[in-house]
Amino acid sequence: MEQGLTTFHGIGTTTDWVVMVVYFIAIMLFGSYFGRYTKSTSDFFFGGRRFAWWLITMSIVATGVGSHSFVKYSAKGFEHGLSSSINYLNDWFLFPFFMFGWLPIIVYSKVRSIPEYFERRFSPTARFLATVLLLLYMIGYIGIGLLTLGKAMVPMLPKAFSLFGYHLPVTLMGVIIVIAVITGIYITFGGQTAVIFTDLLQGAILLFAGLFLFGLGLAYVGGIEAFWDLLPTAWKLPLPDFNKPPDFNFVGHFWQDGMAGTIGFLFLNQGLIMRFMACRSVDEGRKAATFNILLTMPLSAIVVGGAGWIGKAISVAQPDVIAPNTAPDQVFVVVANVIASPGVFGFVMAALVAALMSTVDTLINATAAIFINDVYRPIKQLLKVHLGTARQEDRKELFAARVASVGITVLGVLAVLPLDNFPTVYEAHGFFHSTLTPPLAVAVFLGVFWRRFTPAAVITTFVAGVALMILGARYPGLLIAPFDHGIVMDPDHPYSYIRALYNLVVCSGVAVLAVWTTSWQRRLAGRLRAAASGHRTAVGLGVVALLSFVVVAAALGPLAFQLLMSVVLIAAVPVVVTYQGRYDEEEHTLGLTSWSIGEAKRRFKGGEVNELGGEKVVVRWELVDGDEAQETVSFSAEDMETMEADVGDLVYLCDRRRWLGGLKSIHAVYGAPHDEPGVVHITRIQAEAGLFSKGRALVAEKEM
Amino acid sequence: MSYFSHSWLPYIYQYGLGALVFAIGLWITLRSGSFTPSLPRHRKWLVVLLLGFVWYLVLHGALTLAALGHERTALIGAVAVMAVSAVLSLVWTRRVRGGA
Repeated sequence: MEQGLTTFHGIGTTTDWVVMVVYFIAIMLFGSYFGRYTKSTSDFFFGGRRFAWWLITMSIVATGVGSHSFVKYSAKGFEHGLSSSINYLNDWFLFPFFMFGWLPIIVYSKVRSIPEYFERRFSPTARFLATVLLLLYMIGYIGIGLLTLGKAMVPMLPKAFSLFGYHLPVTLMGVIIVIAVITGIYITFGGQTAVIFTDLLQGAILLFAGLFLFGLGLAYVGGIEAFWDLLPTAWKLPLPDFNKPPDFNFVGHFWQDGMAGTIGFLFLNQGLIMRFMACRSVDEGRKAATFNILLTMPLSAIVVGGAGWIGKAISVAQPDVIAPNTAPDQVFVVVANVIASPGVFGFVMAALVAALMSTVDTLINATAAIFINDVYRPIKQLLKVHLGTARQEDRKELFAARVASVGITVLGVLAVLPLDNFPTVYEAHGFFHSTLTPPLAVAVFLGVFWRRFTPAAVITTFVAGVALMILGARYPGLLIAPFDHGIVMDPDHPYSYIRALYNLVVCSGVAVLAVWTTSWQRRLAGRLRAAASGHRTAVGLGVVALLSFVVVAAALGPLAFQLLMSVVLIAAVPVVVTYQGRYDEEEHTLGLTSWSIGEAKRRFKGGEVNELGGEKVVVRWELVDGDEAQETVSFSAEDMETMEADVGDLVYLCDRRRWLGGLKSIHAVYGAPHDEPGVVHITRIQAEAGLFSKGRALVAEKEM
Repeated sequence: MSYFSHSWLPYIYQYGLGALVFAIGLWITLRSGSFTPSLPRHRKWLVVLLLGFVWYLVLHGALTLAALGHERTALIGAVAVMAVSAVLSLVWTRRVRGGA
C-alpha cells in the first residue's frame, strides 16, 4: 500500500510475457524492414512527402493515443467517469485555422521545422528562442512518455529478478532505460518511414485492443445496460464539473487543453507536423486530420478511458474484485488483468506499451529533425563546413540525425528524473501544456494570421511573456486568481490547468502591445541609429533588459519591483530588437501568412498554378537517360491533355496498388511531351527514388 | 440533486466560446483568401467543417441528456439533428453548385 492506495506487482502470466516478447520482436523487425526505404534525410524525417491520408491517419492514431496514454486516462476515467474523454473531444474549434491557415503554409513554404518557420517569418533570433523553447518542450515530452511507459510496465513486473545468481531489483528508472534502448533501435535505424509504417500497424492494433478490452469489460459487467446502470450519474456526464475539484475541472481543461493544447497539438507538435508533411498533398493532409479528429479521436477516447469506466462499474458491483481505492495509475493494468484471459492480457499490454512507444519514437524523430535543421545546419553554415557533394553531405546529415536520435533518447531518460516528482503523469502533462505551450502558441498563431506581427513583437512575447508567466507561477494567488472562474487554489499545485488562460492572456497582451507600439519602436530605433552615442545606448538598453529578466527569474525583490521590471522588459526588448535588425514586412510575410497562400503555392511550384481539374491516367514506365538533378518526366501529349497539364506543372506518380499508401511514388515536373500514349519516361534515379517495381503500372495525377 | 454545473453549464461554455473561436477561424481564413469556397474542393471542406461542429455539439448534448436519464430523447434527438444537418448541407451545396 502506498498513500492508502492499493498497488500491484507481478500481474500477468508466462503466456502474457511470451505474447509481449513476440510482439516486440515482430514490431522491431517490421520497423527495420521499412528502414531500408530511408535513403536521405528527407526520407528519414518526412518519409519523402508521398503518403496517402489513410496511412497518415492511422499513424496519427498511434501517436495521439500514445501521448495521451492509457494509463492516465484510465485513471481519470476511474476517478471521474466519461468526462475523462474531454481532451479528445475539444479540438474542432481551432480546426479552420489549421486546415486553411497553418497546413498549407507548412507544406507550400517547405519548412522542415517549426523554428525554421520562425526564421523565415521573423528573424534568426526568433528562430533561436523558438528552438530553445521547443527543444525543452519536446525533450520534456519524451520524458513524460518514458515515465508513463515505466509506470505501465512496473505493475506487470515482479519486485526483483534473479539472474546468474545476481539479485536485480525492478526499479522505475531501470524499466525506463530498457524501454528507451528498444525504442531507440528502430527509430535510429529506421527513420520516419519506419515510424509511419510501424505506427500504422500499432495504430490498428491499438484501436482493436482497446475496443476489444472495452467489449470484454461490458460483457464482464453484464452488458451495456448493466454498465450504464452501475455508473453513478456524475460518472456518466461527458464533461467535468465546471470548476471543481481543483485537479480535474472543466474550465481549466477548456483553456489548458482545448485552446493551448490544441494549438500545441496542431501547430507546434513537430511530430504531428512531420506526419502532415509526409502526406502527398495538402488535401491529403486535410483528409487525414479531419478523419482523425472526427472519428478516430472519439474512438480513441473510448480506447484509453474505457478500462477506467469499466473499473468504476466493477468497483460498484464487486468492490472485492476491484477495490474503490485502487491506485488510479494502475487501474488500466488491473482491469485488463481481471477481464482478459492469459495471453489476451499480454496482447493488450503489448498494445498499450506499443502505443506509448509510438509517441516516444515520433517525438525522438521530431526532436532530431529540429536538432538537424535548427542546430546542426546553422552551425555548419556558420563554420562554413562543406566538404563534399550534396549527396555526401546528405549522408553525413543522415548519420548525424541517427546520432542525434540516440542523444535525444538519453536526454529523454534524464528528463524523467524531475518529472517523477509530479504526483501523477496527468499533472506532469498538464504542467507542460499550461507552461511551455502558451508563448509558442501565441507566437506561431499570430505569426500565421496577423501580417503586422513583427520580430520585435514575437521576441518580446518570448521574453516578457515568459517573465510574466514566471511571476504568475510564483504569485498564483494574486495574478492567476482573477482568471480562476471560481476554482479553489490548491496550495501544493496551484491552478494546474487554468494557469494556461493566464499565460495565454499575458503572452497575447504583450504581443498585441508590442505590435501596437511598432511605430514608436521604429522612431526610437531610428533616433538611436542617427545619434552618435546611439549604439552605446542600445547596448545599455539590452543590458537593462537582461538584468530585468534576471530580477524576475531569480525573484530579486518584492512583487511590485518584479512587475516593474516586466514592464521595463516590455518597453526595452522591442526597441533593442528593432534597432538591431531591419525587417522587410513584405519579404517576411509573402507566402508565410494565411493572407498570401496563393503566393506560397506559386513559390512552391516555381510558377503560375494550374487549378484546372484534369483526370488521373494509368501509365507504364520506361527508363530514359538523364542526369541526377533532372526533375522532369515525360508523358504523351494525349495523356497530358487528359490530365489538363502543361509543361512545367507538378505531377505525382504513384504505384497503382493503392494499399501501398504511396510508399512507391515520386513528385516530378512535366517535361516536353512525347508521342507514346500510356507511357511515362523517367530516369533511373527517379525510378530508384520512387522505389518503383519493374512491370508495375503507375498512376499519374497533376498536382498544380 | 442539481447537476447544472456538471452538465449544461460546461456545455454552454464550451460550445458558446467554441462557436465564437470557430466562427473567427472561418472568418479570418475566408477574409484572407486562404479558404475560397468558390472552388468546389473548398466548398466541400466548408460543409465538412460545419457538419463537424454539429457532430460534436450533438455528441456532447446527447451524452449529457442520456446521463441525466433521458436516453431515448438523446438518441432520437441526436439522429434527427445530424440527419437534418446533413440534408441541409446537401441542399445548400447543390444550390451553390447550381448557382455557380
